[in-house]
Amino acid sequence: MNKLLRTTVALAALALAMPALADDAKPLAGQSITVLLPSGQSPNIASDFEKETGIKVDLQMLSWDDIRPKLITGLIAGTPPADVTEFDWSWTGQFGAAGWYEDLTPLIDAESIKDMPTASIFTVDGKLLGVPYANDFRILIANKDHLAKAGITKMPTTIDELIADAKLIKEKGIAEYPLGVPLSPSEGTSTLWYLMTFAFGGDLFDKDWKPLFTSPDSGGYKALQFYVDMLKAGLIDPASTGLKDSDVHQMFMDGKVTFDLGVGPGWVGAFEDKTKSKIAGSTTLGLVPTESGKTVSYGLPEALGIPAASEKKEAALAFVKWMTSKDEQIKLAAEQGLLATRTSAFEELNKQGKILDGDVVIEQAGTVGPLFKQGTPTWYPQFSSAVNNAINQAAKGEISVADAMKSIADETAKAQQQ
Amino acid sequence: MSLSAVLPARRSREKGIDGTADALLGLLLAAPIVIAMVALVLFPVASTLWDSLHRVNPMQAGTPFIGLQHYQDLLKDPIVNEAWRNTFIYVVICVVLETAGGIGAALLINQAGRWRRFVLAAVILPWALPGVVNAVVWQWIYNPAFGLLNGLLVAAGLDFEKYVWFNDRTVALFAVSLVHVWRMLPLTAVIVLAALQSIPADLYEAARIDGASRPKMFTNITLPLIRGGVAIAMTQSTVAAFNFFDEAWILTGSSRGTRPILVQVYLEAFQNLHFSYGMALSVLVMFASLAVSLVYVLRVQRVTRLD
Amino acid sequence: MELRLSQRILLGIGFTVLILWSIGPIYWAIATSLTPTPDLMSQPIHFFPQRLTAYHYERLAGFGYIASNDVTVALQFRNALVNSIITSVLATVISVFLATLGGYAFARLTFPGRTVIFFVVIATIAIPGYTVLIPLYRIMIGAKLLDTYTGVTLIYLSAFLPLALWLMRSVFQQLPLSIEEAARIDGAGRLTILFRIVMPLAAPGLVAASIITFLGAWGQYMVPLIFSPNKTKPLTVLIPEFSTKNFVDYGLINAGGTIAMIVPILIVIFLNRYLVSGLTAGSVK
Repeated sequence: MNKLLRTTVALAALALAMPALADDAKPLAGQSITVLLPSGQSPNIASDFEKETGIKVDLQMLSWDDIRPKLITGLIAGTPPADVTEFDWSWTGQFGAAGWYEDLTPLIDAESIKDMPTASIFTVDGKLLGVPYANDFRILIANKDHLAKAGITKMPTTIDELIADAKLIKEKGIAEYPLGVPLSPSEGTSTLWYLMTFAFGGDLFDKDWKPLFTSPDSGGYKALQFYVDMLKAGLIDPASTGLKDSDVHQMFMDGKVTFDLGVGPGWVGAFEDKTKSKIAGSTTLGLVPTESGKTVSYGLPEALGIPAASEKKEAALAFVKWMTSKDEQIKLAAEQGLLATRTSAFEELNKQGKILDGDVVIEQAGTVGPLFKQGTPTWYPQFSSAVNNAINQAAKGEISVADAMKSIADETAKAQQQ
Repeated sequence: MSLSAVLPARRSREKGIDGTADALLGLLLAAPIVIAMVALVLFPVASTLWDSLHRVNPMQAGTPFIGLQHYQDLLKDPIVNEAWRNTFIYVVICVVLETAGGIGAALLINQAGRWRRFVLAAVILPWALPGVVNAVVWQWIYNPAFGLLNGLLVAAGLDFEKYVWFNDRTVALFAVSLVHVWRMLPLTAVIVLAALQSIPADLYEAARIDGASRPKMFTNITLPLIRGGVAIAMTQSTVAAFNFFDEAWILTGSSRGTRPILVQVYLEAFQNLHFSYGMALSVLVMFASLAVSLVYVLRVQRVTRLD
Repeated sequence: MELRLSQRILLGIGFTVLILWSIGPIYWAIATSLTPTPDLMSQPIHFFPQRLTAYHYERLAGFGYIASNDVTVALQFRNALVNSIITSVLATVISVFLATLGGYAFARLTFPGRTVIFFVVIATIAIPGYTVLIPLYRIMIGAKLLDTYTGVTLIYLSAFLPLALWLMRSVFQQLPLSIEEAARIDGAGRLTILFRIVMPLAAPGLVAASIITFLGAWGQYMVPLIFSPNKTKPLTVLIPEFSTKNFVDYGLINAGGTIAMIVPILIVIFLNRYLVSGLTAGSVK
């Protein structure tokens, strides 16, 4: 980035971060805050922010799986684990009920919230608990080379087309198991099943939180039946019962999988990185195929939250505003492949041609809704764990599809009572 | 540090009245340990015990006293019971394999002659490595497609191409245990080896003159004389298998079929946020573990007294 | 005792199995760390790397070809290595020092509560980490010791002191009383006896206790994850970070893991004699 542009970005970000204090450029200079984020963040975040605001950032990174135990330990002990922390969509119900995070509604301008459609996912009882900084929603990613070799010219839009394409690719020996589906007892297994439930025209719960997946003609039931059938047909690797979503992405990057189903546009950066991926240059995106042909998706965004116990809320807020500003979002998209949460930043990036198959991504983004219409429930972890354990067992052939659905429903009912 | 400043002044008194001086010095020397353990272990344990008698759930207001409610619920919780069952299976598999393997390894090392040092170092290695690194290494070994284990079995002409080790519950329990056994077997081997070496050689000599066969010597001399060591090693294995966590968590995540009790504690407290419920379970684990250790400590004391 | 040929062969097979079982997995980790990433995903697998590369190690060390964010990787790695060494050494020195004083007291001096205190301290070995995690965290926050060497060292101390104490006590118990009695008759005080006479005799035991404590601290994961989030973060917490939400860097993980294994491997190779005596001292005698 040239110097002029860098300065412009810096000034713009500053203007955004401190609208109320425009006359004094660095009112919080000298303060220092801690920020806890998952590993893989751009190394420039702390220095760039300090340059612009004079606030020192102690950026702590932990692997994704380790973030939550670290956060909970601090929050239960009644102390801030950091002044700004990662806030995943799936934590909204629990963290909201616990009242652990600052309500940001009065602190973030309405304009910005309107620019970030996923902000609604982090809103509990009218309180905004996190400002989304990394977008993620489900989309279909495929290996262009595999499709070309099989003579397939368009991405599948229905489940039947997907199956037909996969069969063709397997028959021609292009990929032994064309469909990439994680089936181990892990979160990625659950999140893909939710998507497939929608793809088969179903939903997870009704408005009274009663399960909608137990009858054989429900979306959830059909989704699991689809897995079992595809395993039998040899289109899904039987070893998937031991694979997490990241393992499936790895197989996609090794050219062993044609369709990566449980994935979002945020992974494109890694897939197209020559140092990581053998198939760089062959990634193509399509809309999530469904039974009816009308695509669906849902969002799994990540946000930045400020623990209510933090003692440096002003400086923390400045950081949240800075990192979620339009210019920083554009910059982070280039530096770490972050998927912008602001519609304006997203459109800008697409205009610059920075987003692979940008039109598809924007079309899919338009169909993104929340996973739970009433907001993420407090018993989400038990539900998710019941889902991935049941799917794993059904995929291994230990229990039937009907029993798997029943066990999810039973576990959920139990968790709801607690 | 402040200790050395205080002590020389006392020395003259020490020599005079021996008993009291010894007692004072003893208390003084033990004091840092007592302070550290009370502040950093016993007080936290007491605090957790207290919490477990309350409903501490960050998602619900207040922390009412509920007595033993959590403990009653835990006994009826089917998922908790399943985790207990898995833990008992782990304990049985690990103790059996570690004891049998450890005795075997110790007997071999005892025969190693000039290679002894090398063999012993090789055998101890797995125990010395960081547990997390072990689990990650084994995860790669068990990988269905690119793992060493399936590679070896296929090379040996067996049908293990892409075999998934964690698909079948029984196999998975064994596969996860094996990683733990790999790490803990050295301890049993070393303890048994020390016991083996304390057997006087002339006992075997005498038996040989009497015309006893090797298997006979093993059952009549070796086994009875290493029994004390084996028992201690077994108790140690039991405590370690009770506190099984890393291997299961990294290899099979939260899978219910292989979930040990400590993973259940983690899930209740940190994932489901039923904080005090999870803490109550951890207290139960603590008591179970203490009960086993008590057997260990008592046995050590008995063995010590025999000397 | 002369062995028959068949017995020799049997013994040979036994040794081969034992060595392969113990070293095989370690070999595999090192081989993986030296294999170029694309070769890792090949079938059938190769038992010996077809091509060797130091690429993963170069990235950790920060020289050679450097991708954009490798400077940070190398910096983080160096800090983590230094932190692992500092915290492990601190924990070892302090634990063993206190255990030596305490071990002598519990072995040789009679004072009220001696047996009870000793067994209570030893019994804490059986307490699972999760039982004390949250209260301990509150204490550390209150004392402002989070992410400090002092804080982590204190926690390691509470975890490893009991074992070291047990070991040192049994080491002292095994020393002959006569030397100390002779010194006492010569008018030496208790502490002179401890530092001048008993300690040198107990040196192998001291080394053993140090090794066991050091290895224990070196391999810790859960404690530093919670209590050393940043400035004092050790290798064991850093290594899993090479798997981000989007990409698992098996090369870096194995290379980092191999380096984390080197220190224990060196200790076992060079100090095994002491280690073995230490592992058995507490249990057999």
